[in-house]
Amino acid sequence: MAPVQIDNLVPGMILKHNVTDRSGRMLLPEGATLEAKHFGIFRMWGVLEVEVTDEGEAETAEPPPGEEVDPVLMERASGEVCRIFAHNDPEHPAIRELIRICVNRRAAHEA
Amino acid sequence: MKRSQLIGVEQMVQDVSTIHSLPMFYSQLSEAIDHPRSSIADIAKIISEDLGLTARILKLANSPLFGYFSKIETITQAVTIIGVLQVRDLALALSVMDVFAGIPESMVNMEQFWRHSLATGLAAKLLATSQREASLERFFVAGILHDIGRLVMYIRVPEISLEMLDRCRSTGELLYRVERDRLGFDHAEVGGALLRRWKIPPRVAEPVERHHNCKRAEQYPREASILHFADVVAHALQLGNSGELLVPELDSAVWDRLSVSCHYLPTLVQQVDATFKDTVQVLFRSDSSV
Repeated sequence: MAPVQIDNLVPGMILKHNVTDRSGRMLLPEGATLEAKHFGIFRMWGVLEVEVTDEGEAETAEPPPGEEVDPVLMERASGEVCRIFAHNDPEHPAIRELIRICVNRRAAHEA
Repeated sequence: MKRSQLIGVEQMVQDVSTIHSLPMFYSQLSEAIDHPRSSIADIAKIISEDLGLTARILKLANSPLFGYFSKIETITQAVTIIGVLQVRDLALALSVMDVFAGIPESMVNMEQFWRHSLATGLAAKLLATSQREASLERFFVAGILHDIGRLVMYIRVPEISLEMLDRCRSTGELLYRVERDRLGFDHAEVGGALLRRWKIPPRVAEPVERHHNCKRAEQYPREASILHFADVVAHALQLGNSGELLVPELDSAVWDRLSVSCHYLPTLVQQVDATFKDTVQVLFRSDSSV
């Protein structure tokens, strides 16, 4: 399966490949079961995504759990964020991601 | 009124660079650092003469921004641990913040202005970290100083500045484009010219000068690109405000040159949010708790 972004990893997933930092230093071997503490280590070494085996896939297909934000708030936040991004191309991958983050962040602030 | 009657970039900064000069102490410090025979003790001594600055540098050094394990208690330690050039860069950022105190509130809220600058500085430093750049303080400082040209405009051409701010509010244009249209140059160029006059090294001055026009950065295109994107992030998060109401347009050529993954952005935002509040406290609330 495709690499999973670090924010969407859940403890219990199993690594498909060795995880290394940018210079190739091994951080965690293939087959290891992920624990919460590993995520901090990955972040620290600049690992942004890892490949996991299909066993954990059912869990990752779901969006990150727990954050049910009021749709009204989400809508208001999204309107406001789109307004300030008026001069940017919303299809650009970086802008799309920034807009997504900002909408969530704003809605969470107001909740 | 046409452009010919208006002033150019150099005239814009001419008076400002003398009236709002950097404290003597900064040039002393620079001189000492550049002198081949000065020791860390000499440098520490110069910094220690400015008590307010000493306190703030020590607080910054002990803040999560640096994240050292043991407590840094003296300037000598700070210079040794953080590094001479880094301490100089921090001293520069902090001195500039004092130089521009006292611009009328109707024009700009200085706290909001520096908040935006700080958010940009933090984002630039974190981005630079992720790009494995060396000596990160220069990114922080470039971020702190990136909109300084706008302060020069507020001082030199207050009426035109207000007029431009109003125009943006009613038409939804981007302020730096209105500046180019009205004056023939933007705040980034003014900031760059001021920093050059102050003899700030080009590794900081050029990225500031080109942060809305990275193509033209000749010596430090990577730095300018990082600053450009950091500015976009700071605007997106709406931390502070420097006059620009909307998010500046991201130059997609700049984005392509930076090897930043989209997946890094959530982490970046999280880290900026995490360090922002603490650093604001160090920089703005220092007087009450020294």
